[in-house]
Parts: sequence; C-alpha cells; structure tokens
Amino acid sequence: MMPVFELLRDDDEARTGNQILSRPGRILLAVGILGLAAAGPIAGSIQPFWVNLLVRMLAFALLALSLDFVFGYAGLLSFGHAAMYGAGGYTAALLVGQVTPNALVVLPASVLVGVVVAALIGWLSVRARGIYFAMLTLAFAQLLYVVVFTDLPATIAGAETVTGGDNGLYGIGSYELAGVGFGDPLAYYFLTLALVALSLAGLIRLANSPFGRVIQGVRENEDRIEFIGYNVQRYKVIAFAISGGFAGLAGGLYVPFQSVANPGLLHWTVSGELVVMVLLGGMGTLWGPMVGAGLVVFLEDRLGGVASWEVILGTLFVLVVIFAPRGIAGALISLRDDPSGAVDSVKEALKNYVREVRD
Amino acid sequence: MIESIVRATLLGVQSGMILALIAAGLTLIFGMLDVINFAHGALYMLGAYFGSVIAAELGSFWLALLIAPLLVGVVGIAIEVFSLRPLYGRNPLYHILLTFGFAIMIQGAVVQIWGGQARQIAQPALLTGTLSLGVVDYPVYRLFVLAISTALIGGVWLAIDRSNLGIIMRASAHDTEMVDALGIDVSKVFTGVFVFGAVLAGLAGVLLGASRSVNPGMGMGIIIEAFVIVVIGGLGSFRGAVFAALLIGLVTSYGALIAPTLTDLALFGLMAIVLMVKPNGLFGATEAA
Repeated sequence: MMPVFELLRDDDEARTGNQILSRPGRILLAVGILGLAAAGPIAGSIQPFWVNLLVRMLAFALLALSLDFVFGYAGLLSFGHAAMYGAGGYTAALLVGQVTPNALVVLPASVLVGVVVAALIGWLSVRARGIYFAMLTLAFAQLLYVVVFTDLPATIAGAETVTGGDNGLYGIGSYELAGVGFGDPLAYYFLTLALVALSLAGLIRLANSPFGRVIQGVRENEDRIEFIGYNVQRYKVIAFAISGGFAGLAGGLYVPFQSVANPGLLHWTVSGELVVMVLLGGMGTLWGPMVGAGLVVFLEDRLGGVASWEVILGTLFVLVVIFAPRGIAGALISLRDDPSGAVDSVKEALKNYVREVRD
Repeated sequence: MIESIVRATLLGVQSGMILALIAAGLTLIFGMLDVINFAHGALYMLGAYFGSVIAAELGSFWLALLIAPLLVGVVGIAIEVFSLRPLYGRNPLYHILLTFGFAIMIQGAVVQIWGGQARQIAQPALLTGTLSLGVVDYPVYRLFVLAISTALIGGVWLAIDRSNLGIIMRASAHDTEMVDALGIDVSKVFTGVFVFGAVLAGLAGVLLGASRSVNPGMGMGIIIEAFVIVVIGGLGSFRGAVFAALLIGLVTSYGALIAPTLTDLALFGLMAIVLMVKPNGLFGATEAA
C-alpha cells in the first residue's frame, strides 16, 4: 500500500508553494483586496443582495485560508475544521445575544475558543498520521456536533437551553464597535474584508517565518525534522491551534451576519466541502483556496435556481482534477509563467488524458 | 427483556453485514488504488434507485437484485476508466476532490431524474411476514438480508484469500510495480477491484432499499459510517472492515435500546478511542499510512 503522504512528497516540483509570496505576488494581492473594497459598494448599488453574497464568500474564504495553513503548509489533512468554525460561531451567538455586541470583545473570544478547541483536537489527534489523523479530527468534530445538537451543556448545567439544540439560536444581533453598528450589510462587508485581509497578511508572514519553515519541513519529511531536534508533535499542535483560531474567527464573522447559529455549522459535510474548496483552489498557496471557496459559495448561490446545479458543480470538480491538477492557483500560475504556451499545454493535457485512458 | 436483546442482536448483525458489503469495497479500493472513494455512497444510492425502477417496471425484486448492481458496475467502469485511470500516481489527495465531484454529480442527477421524494422497493411475496425464532418473531426479509450478505462476505473472503485473482489483488496492493513486471495487467486488476466494490455497494443499496426507503440523501448518510468502519478496521484491511462493521452494527443497535439519541456519540467515540490506542486501526499495517 502506497502511503498517501509519501506520494504527497514526490511532487515537490509541482507544489505551488511560495510563489505568490514574492514581492509582485504581494502587490497583486493588495490590488485584489482594494478591488474587493471597491466591489462592495458597486455591487450593493446594483443589487443589495450581492453584498450579502460577498460577505458569505469572504467568510468561507477565511475558513479555507485557515485550513490551507494547516493542510497545505503543515501537511495535516483536517477533516474536522467545522468544529472550530461552529465553536467560534456559537461563541459569537451566545456573547452577542446575552453579553455584549462589542466586536472587540466577541471576535477575540471567537478566535480564542477556536484556538482552544483546535489545540484540544490537535493534541488528541497528532499521534496518528495521514488519513488516520484526518479521521480522528472528523471524530472529534462529530462528537462536538452531537454535543451541540443534543444540547448537552444544558443537560449538564441544568439550564433550559444553551445551544438551542436542533433548532439552534435565532435572532442574533449584529456587532457594534465604538458606538457604530454594523447592521448595514455594507458596513459588515468592510469589517469582514478588513479582518480577512489582516488574517491573510498575518498567515503569509507566519508561513514565511522560521516557524512556517519548520512546519513545511514537517510536511516534507517529518522524521528528518524530528532528528534535527524539533518537537514535531508540538509544532503540529501549535499549527493546528493557530489554524483553529482563524476558523473560529470565520465562524464569529459568519453567524452574527446570518443572525442564526445552527448545528449544521459543525456538521462533517462543512469540513468535507472545505477540503474540496482548498483542493479546487490549489492547496499550499493560501490565496488559491480563498478563490476556490469564494467560487464554490458563488456557484452554489447562483446555480441554486438551476435544476441540476449539483451536476454542474460536480462536473467542474472532476474536470479541474483531470485537467488542472494543481487547482485554480496552479492553472493561473502556469498561465502567468508561460502565457503563450497555454493553448499548447491544454492540447498536451488532452493528449495525455486520451493516452492514459486507452492505456 | 431477553426478547429485545435477541432482536437487537439480530438487527445489529444484519446491519453490520450490510455495512460490511459497503465498507469492503471502500477498503479494497483504498488498499489497492490508494483512492479515498467519496462516491461510494453515491454508488450505493444508485443501486437502490436502479433497483426501485427495475422492481417497479418489471415487477420482480429478484431481477432488481440481479440487474441493478450490474448497472452500478457499469457506472463504476466509466468512473474508473475515464477519470481514475489517467490520475494514478498523481497526488492522491486530489482523488478526494474527484470522487466528491462524482458524489454530488450522481446525487444531483438522481434528484433531477427521479425527484426528491422517497421511493420504495417492494419486498418479494416469498419473503414477507415473520418467522418465529422461539423467543422472537422476526421479519423474514431481514433474515434473508442477513443470510445473503453473510454469504456474500464469506464468498469475497474466500476469493481474496484462496483464488488466483485474490493473490494477484493482494500482491498488487503490496507492490504494484513488481506485479506489473511479472506480466500481469495491473490496470485491469485496478478496474476490476473498483467495479467489484461498486457492485457490492449497489447490492447493498437494493437490499437495504427494500427494508428502508430509497432517497437522495441515503448515500451521504452511509458514506461517513462506512469510512468510520474502514478506519476502525484499518485502511485496506478486509477482515478489519468486516469485524468493525459487525462491531458498529451491534453498538448502534444496542445503543438504540439504551440511549437512542447518543448512538452517533458511540460511533465516533469508538473510532476516537480505537485510533488513540491503535493509530493505524485494529488490523491496519503498523507503518503509518
């Protein structure tokens, strides 16, 4: 049996790694963020609903970013990121509903809860490697889902309800900051965009820091990093906890905007879709998964009215894997490196495909 | 008291054997092809839908049980030849995206063709009613499912353990290049394994479709349970999958007696405990995958 992560190491060349972190890449990202800042008011003036969609795309982009940090960089396939996302979301719902709508209190709390949940899950899961690690994170995330779904905290504390069980929590208000409310979708959009941009900048710095190098080393060759003298398990747990903090932030941004927190946030299908978004975007690039997540959320929303939208989305995934094996980011990077060769490389890919099928 | 325990045991073993049919394909496909097949649940659902159409059109459960899995096998051939085959040797993580794509594609197509409502497969007249087993009266159909799935699992085990094909399969899983060098067309073996897994999933779909309902959500519902089983048993291990399937079947059905809302807790809790004690599953290879 060929170990899954052994193969992952074989295509070093194919990894799209640090390319976007170069100077031109950062400028391009800054331009992209400014473009998004301009896109909000324009979209809002055409159709207010578009702002709503943009906020959801950004929240999922942040979630995909958090997963890519631990999946693309540390090589830890997490199948339980919905746990941190949901934990952050429920934290925001409970705090806004019962304590304070102050964003400066609630959002850090969401991040903190995400970090704590991730540290716990990570600490319990790092003993296993590869797919077994993924399944352990899935197990703990599903356990948390059951806890929220059956409202176990209420049973233990003797309260009437804490998580709202099956129905979840409704009518959650929006954030406030220094007396300014974020009830207006456009204001909320700018808040979200600012935090997503800060998160991206922070994670890019972290990925390029000595810490980031070590966790990339863990991905490439865990044993070697251990021999050098690093405590691999600890690095993995820390990377997982950091990732969990950003996932918690994504939940904390998503829930007050939707004004609903339901157990569905923590369900494994969210984690599964997230892995798919990261792969579609191109793992290990940080920005690629964000594009992938935004695209999937956009398509799900726009195609929702079309009868067979699942068929279309499924076909897209299949085609991307066959013809753009490194995801959207990989396709864009090879297009940038060699714009004139694009047509040839598509031809080449088709030829290869036909040969492999016949073989 | 004794009656409900006997009933729960029978139900647990029966659902365990059905789960084993699904998990066996999943674990064989992983062990040999290194593919985490998210479309496996969709193939199971497809079996149930094909079965319900054939049973309704031709009026025969037996024909449905025979033809539907074969049709699922044809879909399996198409998936393997046109999408998996060109991708072997590439980063297997992308197979998750690929098979997830097929899963939602099939689910969407099913809703498109047959609508979102649940369908039924009529149980054959021969197998209706109950049989007295001393302590309990038990539905004949369920006993039939128990018997046929046990026979199938036994047959698969014999085939893997004793037949030439089984030896080639196990050898290919162990060292693909060596088997290829010995002049065996490994590509055909791969296709065979994938299709075989698809047929087993389709069979399980027809068998369960006639006792539960046939609906578009059934595939996504069962796939995660099947993954849990495969992982508890140890990825790629056939006997591990069968053992874990029986374990999960029994835990779920006893759990339903004690605390029905907490069966999911038992399912995932069990997996967490097993993996923390044995990080490669009960029958998994000692080297981490």
